[in-house]
Amino acid sequence: MPLKDALPTQGRFSQWRPNWVILTLGLAMLAAVWGLPTVSVAANRIVSGTGYPVWQALSWGGGALASLIILAMMVLASHPERTRLSYVAQFAAMVLLLLLMPFGLMAASHWLVDASQPQARLGIGPAYWVVMFLALLGLIELRLRLSLARGWMALLLIGIGAVWLGCAALWLDSLALVQEFQVREAQFYQAIRQHLALVTIAVSVSIVLGMGIALLMRRFYRLQRGGFALLNFFQTVPSLALFGLLLAPLAWLSANVPFAAQLGIKGIGWTPALIALIIYSLLPIVRNTYVALEAVSPDVLDAATGMGMRTSQRFWQVRVPLALPILLEGVRITMVQAIGLTAVAALIGAGGLGAFIFQGLGQAAMDMVLLGALPILVMALAADAGIGALAAQLRRGAAYD
Amino acid sequence: MSRKPQPSLSTYHPAQLLVPVIWVVLLALAVVAMPATEAVFRWLAPDARQVIYQRADFITLLGRHLFVVGVAALFTVSVGLLAGVAVTRQWGRDFLPLATQVASMGQTFPPVAVLALAVPALGFGTLPIIVALVLYGLLPIVRNTIAGLKDVDLATISSARGMGMTDGQILRQVELPLAAPVILAGVRTSITINIATAALGSTVGASNLGDPIIAGIINTNMAYVVQGALVIALLALSVDSFFEVLQRRLRSHTA
Amino acid sequence: MIELRNVYKYFDDTVAVDDVSLSVPKGKFCALVGTSGCGKSTTLRMINRLLAHSEGEILLDEQAISDYDPVLLRRRIGYVIQNTGLFPHWNVARNIGLVPRLLKWPASQVRQRVEELMQLLGLPVGEFANKYPHQLSGGQAQRVGVARALAADPDILLMDEPFGALDPITREKLQEMLMQLQARLHKTIVFVTHDMDEALRLADHLVVMRAGKVIQQGTPLSLLQKPADAFVDSLLGGLERGLKQASLTRVKDHMAPLGPTLPAQSRIPARYTLRQALSMMLRDHSERLTVVDQHDMPVGELSLRKLVKEAHSSEQGSSRES
Repeated sequence: MPLKDALPTQGRFSQWRPNWVILTLGLAMLAAVWGLPTVSVAANRIVSGTGYPVWQALSWGGGALASLIILAMMVLASHPERTRLSYVAQFAAMVLLLLLMPFGLMAASHWLVDASQPQARLGIGPAYWVVMFLALLGLIELRLRLSLARGWMALLLIGIGAVWLGCAALWLDSLALVQEFQVREAQFYQAIRQHLALVTIAVSVSIVLGMGIALLMRRFYRLQRGGFALLNFFQTVPSLALFGLLLAPLAWLSANVPFAAQLGIKGIGWTPALIALIIYSLLPIVRNTYVALEAVSPDVLDAATGMGMRTSQRFWQVRVPLALPILLEGVRITMVQAIGLTAVAALIGAGGLGAFIFQGLGQAAMDMVLLGALPILVMALAADAGIGALAAQLRRGAAYD
Repeated sequence: MSRKPQPSLSTYHPAQLLVPVIWVVLLALAVVAMPATEAVFRWLAPDARQVIYQRADFITLLGRHLFVVGVAALFTVSVGLLAGVAVTRQWGRDFLPLATQVASMGQTFPPVAVLALAVPALGFGTLPIIVALVLYGLLPIVRNTIAGLKDVDLATISSARGMGMTDGQILRQVELPLAAPVILAGVRTSITINIATAALGSTVGASNLGDPIIAGIINTNMAYVVQGALVIALLALSVDSFFEVLQRRLRSHTA
Repeated sequence: MIELRNVYKYFDDTVAVDDVSLSVPKGKFCALVGTSGCGKSTTLRMINRLLAHSEGEILLDEQAISDYDPVLLRRRIGYVIQNTGLFPHWNVARNIGLVPRLLKWPASQVRQRVEELMQLLGLPVGEFANKYPHQLSGGQAQRVGVARALAADPDILLMDEPFGALDPITREKLQEMLMQLQARLHKTIVFVTHDMDEALRLADHLVVMRAGKVIQQGTPLSLLQKPADAFVDSLLGGLERGLKQASLTRVKDHMAPLGPTLPAQSRIPARYTLRQALSMMLRDHSERLTVVDQHDMPVGELSLRKLVKEAHSSEQGSSRES
């Protein structure tokens, strides 16, 4: 007897259930490939370039190849049954697309950039950025469906990145980003060193300081409310404002206290940047340390005491190892936050990659902005993934013990 | 169901509003009375030709700042809520894993980098700032909407359906009210970040409260820097403390 | 009247409910009993179309449930679940008034109905109306849950392990309350539980399920007397089955007229159960009891010998005031 049922029947027959995510992403990619400028060519650094659509930049063949790969993925995604093999094939299609993209740039450079003009440069167009972004989303989606380990995904992305970098270094001299880099290679490495140094110092200082504060809060209960309120307060103050507010007293200090000036304390420069970074970093560290130490199950502590562990033994051998993953989570948040905030610190003369961003913005040289912004993004993602993986590792260890 | 010690129920004291009101009064005072404080700032920047930022008065700057953040918030809240609701419905389930993953990765992208990447794509001016703020501010709201809706006890939803509520009624009367505290926390994060990021917008051609700071740094005029920083900080604290009160009121119902 | 005819439910490839047929006449109390995962909750949830059945027919008042609009259908059926499912952001009064409001009753009528129900379930209006679920004890919360289910005066009540999460004393209190309610309201009830004692105590009709199949159904007494297999026997308590059966039978149904012999010292009221009679015999080292009426006048006698002999044959039993 047929049932006219308003509710979705989960019957024995599998229905057509394509992966709508991949289909949507695929459609958007196709729209981007054919609807947005693929590359732009400019006569020199300052003038804005002219955009070229895909059939001029990559020829009809190139556009067709890209579309074919995307279509293949979409066909696989609309297969009535979701099999692992189909997902693997879709994954491969995305990876192939990402790997072929730099070669497309080479072709575009060969066809569109006049080799007799050393100033002429090739810009990566919106279609490229959008397709790259969507392909990464697709990889994330497929990774989740395939439940691939993060480690493999990271390796894969590093591999793709290496191909891009290799192409850029060897064959893509006309690429604006590459030219921008070649002009200030030394500066670039210097900026990365500065950026990393600021982040490392700020995070290490705040780890030591923050854990101390957290321990004090545990001992002196009264400190807790006020302490968190104060740290929350600082976290709310926008970074630009905090950097700004620190300038004045430090400038005064260096002008009026010779000793401070000898130490290198100045209104402008790394001092206010470091202080602000440490202040911002304290909250996540203190909060996570505190929570981590509190979160250890009372049963476990009870058992430890019952077995005859001394207070200090219990602290170092039970509490700390169990708290470590949550603690690392705090370090991860702090690290990612500090990488971003250090970029802002460039405004008050602290150097780092932010300097490229703000100089680039000042000179309307977008490729210089990219030269600063892209590494910051990569650093933030790497820190996030790296510390996240470490925490996961520790957690797994804790689960087995 | 765990039964925790119960907080006093829904006790709404006007006194709770005290903190935000103090911040707002301080903000208003700072904005209106800034020109009258020349003597104080003269002391900060004794050599400067001008000590009070004059290119635009602070009321205008504050207005522009609020406009940018407000317009962005309007979009982020409506779009973010819709997206969060959509991916938790039966028909949008396909998008849930990706949306969750991307929204949780959002905090990893530094706001500066996002802003910097928005300029090449969108150009200088107020519009790109708003677009960047919308894109960036969406993520915490989507993340918290998803988290809030997923946290609603399945038994509650099941019993609501069993009582004969329609899907729309369940969403409006049960799921959204129960997820509200978590969603509100997301909105708070989003707007707080956007107030700070909008200030950075004055480096990409939007005029707002970031202007005096940037101008002060360029001209090494400490007075400008402090004036701008003070007003932004007060703005952020005012808005944040309002959210604090709102959250406390929402939380007092459901324990 | 609820009727299931050869109902199946598939989840992907597993069979959750396998050819279940049962019928609950109007005003009767049917309990679905079985271990967890046996398909009893699934069966229940198909009746108000929270789950769609895959094959077979489910009829409510001789109408296939697929003919009803699912939402309107659910508003006509009361539904109680284990964790109450009360809305934590609504106070007690608003929770109870949910379905009447969904049915667009006028506000004054809703309020009146809510107060009526709170009284019926022993929840003083002044004390509880404005409380929130997290301020209630488990027993109070489930009283509210039952009140909410009864709010629109549905004919049918579906209860999914309603007392499963309560402590034994509270559970017994609520069972008592439910029995009294049922004596007054005569709802058609389907009650899911894994607690056989609860089912024996409450139900007119027992359905024992395992692995999606109905193993045996019938009156509590018929099951106790003749369990279909070892599984039902163990569910019914194995060795203790005799005692359980005794607790379903009243002294007055088994007493003999007063004989010529001297009346026994120990006296037992006629309305007591055989189980209590047995216990009294053990306590008083007596093989005979004198049965008395409510005025403590001897009306008959009960002997161990007769009790043991008759325990197996009597079918007429079950004069429990329901």
